[in-house]
Amino acid sequence: MTASERTDEAEAATPPVDDGARLARRVELPDRAPPHQAAPVGELVFDVRDLSVFYGDFQAVRDVALPIRQNQITAFIGPSGCGKSTVLRCFNRMNDLIETARVRGSVRYHGVDLYGADVDPVEVRRRIGMVFQKPNPFPKSIYDNIAFGPKIAGYRGNMDGLVEESLRRAALWDEVKDKLKQSAFALSGGQQQRLCIARAIATSPDVVLMDEPASALDPIATLRIEELMYELKKDYTIIIVTHNMQQAARVSDRTAFFTVDVRDNGQRTGVLVEFDDTGKIFTNPGEQQTEDYITGRFG
Amino acid sequence: MATRAASVSATDVVRQNLRGKKFSFGGIVFEAFLLLMLLTALAILVTLIADIVAGALPVFRERGVVDFVTSPLSLAGDTAGVSTAILGSVSLTAIVALVSFPIGIGAAIYLEEYASDNRVTRFIGTNIRNLAGVPSIVYGLLGLAVIVELVDVIGLGGPGTTNGRNVVAAGLTMAILVLPIVIITATEALRAVPSSIREAGFGVGATRWEVIRHHVLPSAAPGILTGTILTLARAFGETAPLLLIGVATGFFSAGAGASFFDQLTGKYTALPVVVFSWSRQPTEGFQDNLAPAAIIVLLVVLFTANAAAVLLRNRYERKW
Amino acid sequence: MTTPHHEELRHRFDEDLHSIRMDTVRLGGLILENARRVSEAMLENDLDLGQQVLAADAEVDKLAAELERHAFETMALQQPMAGDLRFLVAITRMVYELERTGDLVANCAKAHAHGDGFALSPRARGLLAKAAKASSDVFAKGIEALADMNPDAGAELDRYDDTVDDLVSEFYTLLPTESEGSGLENAISLSRVARYLERIADHGVNVGQHVHYIVRGEFPGDARAAD
Repeated sequence: MTASERTDEAEAATPPVDDGARLARRVELPDRAPPHQAAPVGELVFDVRDLSVFYGDFQAVRDVALPIRQNQITAFIGPSGCGKSTVLRCFNRMNDLIETARVRGSVRYHGVDLYGADVDPVEVRRRIGMVFQKPNPFPKSIYDNIAFGPKIAGYRGNMDGLVEESLRRAALWDEVKDKLKQSAFALSGGQQQRLCIARAIATSPDVVLMDEPASALDPIATLRIEELMYELKKDYTIIIVTHNMQQAARVSDRTAFFTVDVRDNGQRTGVLVEFDDTGKIFTNPGEQQTEDYITGRFG
Repeated sequence: MATRAASVSATDVVRQNLRGKKFSFGGIVFEAFLLLMLLTALAILVTLIADIVAGALPVFRERGVVDFVTSPLSLAGDTAGVSTAILGSVSLTAIVALVSFPIGIGAAIYLEEYASDNRVTRFIGTNIRNLAGVPSIVYGLLGLAVIVELVDVIGLGGPGTTNGRNVVAAGLTMAILVLPIVIITATEALRAVPSSIREAGFGVGATRWEVIRHHVLPSAAPGILTGTILTLARAFGETAPLLLIGVATGFFSAGAGASFFDQLTGKYTALPVVVFSWSRQPTEGFQDNLAPAAIIVLLVVLFTANAAAVLLRNRYERKW
Repeated sequence: MTTPHHEELRHRFDEDLHSIRMDTVRLGGLILENARRVSEAMLENDLDLGQQVLAADAEVDKLAAELERHAFETMALQQPMAGDLRFLVAITRMVYELERTGDLVANCAKAHAHGDGFALSPRARGLLAKAAKASSDVFAKGIEALADMNPDAGAELDRYDDTVDDLVSEFYTLLPTESEGSGLENAISLSRVARYLERIADHGVNVGQHVHYIVRGEFPGDARAAD
């Protein structure tokens, strides 16, 4: 039998092979835009120009300019001492609490100058929440931790509902719903940090600042926080400072790379080197300094 | 061959060195010496207390503790009691608390939470610490020179010849004496509150006062409380200023039918002073029995206060 | 790729991997459609259809480049390990296989257009039809293996590939006769097309092998070679 004849026989016996169209239809596609496509550019939440921060005579940060857009996760990376936390704390005026701190330049939040004379820093901190490096729940019950912020802000609505909502959004509700009156210190480190996230979002901010939120946690707890950030992105704008580059790569949409500039007189000042889409920063950065840091050639 | 022999001997050497305890003569002698010091100190204390208890025992056995504690001052050895003195000491301590706590704790909160850290505040802090170490008799002189006059002038001088030498003046003097201590203990308690708690409070949009009121003070409260108890215990037992200000060794009030105000502003006495005066009284029984009995009462109060402070501190420390 | 544990972490990463796989399958589907189209064009002597095939190839190249970029970016951003890493590396290789396949399909169209169509005797025509169908079937099976993440498609793919090779060999035997009938150039073009069809099937087999590598961690030949 020739090959041709064999083929005829075989064809009679076997079912037809999928063609391209049927093949394409067989595979399922999640019902949203593929993640790698850039999301539509959101509104400008923060507009920073010529930002410099001084602690007394020491200049910690020099001439930083960057835009932060809505519903994105922006990461600040860089070696220690490069001023990433200092810049972050400018966004909610936490630097005000340090006596010798002076902030120069402009930080605009939805167009309003954050350091204007008529701006109340207390109100700023309600709208721009913060999560700190080491989980720092209040020495109170889980419920009271969440309820404190809204209470002093004058919230008169259904507090139980607000507490539940905040805990749900922080992916902690199921684990604590039966022990809301227990001390917050009874929770594990990862749970405490999620509690701090819930506390931060209880005042209904539109921005959440995170200062190395996972650096005190074990790897699994870290990944859970990262999952959580991905979910929170839908409703909040997130800025995260991290010394873990890989975390910035996994989690953020935009990345800002800071470094330390050492002057002739020995003064070490933080400067912004590059700010771009995370994909570009980690595959093809524009600046050599960035490439050196990303590839671990320079710490 | 050579290495095997070498390794065998190495094992032997190690074995030899590890086995058998070394006899260190010097170490044992030193340890014995330290133990001896401890026993000596304990022996002294035990002797002291035994001596006092021995002296006080007849009083308690004859009259019972309750009778002794509830009988007023008297010149007769078999009816004299410490009730007047206790009343005086308690009033004194109450005044100390009322005056020194608000001022001291308030000052501590301001220094710790509001004031900036500069040369002036550091200077103030140093001086407060110095004042805490000033001998109490100096405060007595201050009391005599200033407070007594002040009390008299503002109308609290009291009936008769008291002229301001009353429990009000004594209380105010004591309050000034313990004020530095109150400030220091309150400051320490406030400093012990981790700054991360404050940061968290500010982070959710609280004002400085809200952070202090809802987070710092509740956390520092156990420490402040412990400090106040110890301060009151100190005030209860302090003697020198009272002697200077001139404490009556007689009765509390100006007379049986005197008003409460007159009682308050009239002559008075306090427990440590009673101890002092009874130990100099030549009348039979006072020096040998009654004074020790009064000392026992004083010690019981002090020990109880200290124990309460320690219990409180332990209880609240566990909560963290 | 990774077995699910009691808790699902790295959703974003999993979604990314899934979409890369689906994009690859879809790319394969596009190429497959083009292959069927060029086969029809050659057999029905439809030059316009041939032009469509060439135009579609430009789209194929663009998608392949984008897919490769996406895979590289995911590797940079997500630090893949083990199966995830094998998957992404294999995807970049498969994209190459797919792109080459797309080029081969386009080459068939070019060969067809060059001579303004083929002259085919009925017998040659029948054989060409079978060969073309068998060739794109192998390719389709390779893509299907990726869609199903089936590491065992290899054996079946080998069989089908053998069939293609046999059909193509048989076709070659006809060519001398064809060249006598319709000219040397025509025969040469047909021989080129036959070669392209054979290589399309080979690429399909390679895709199947890559799927085996992703799932099992080695290529099908390795275990046998070690024995």
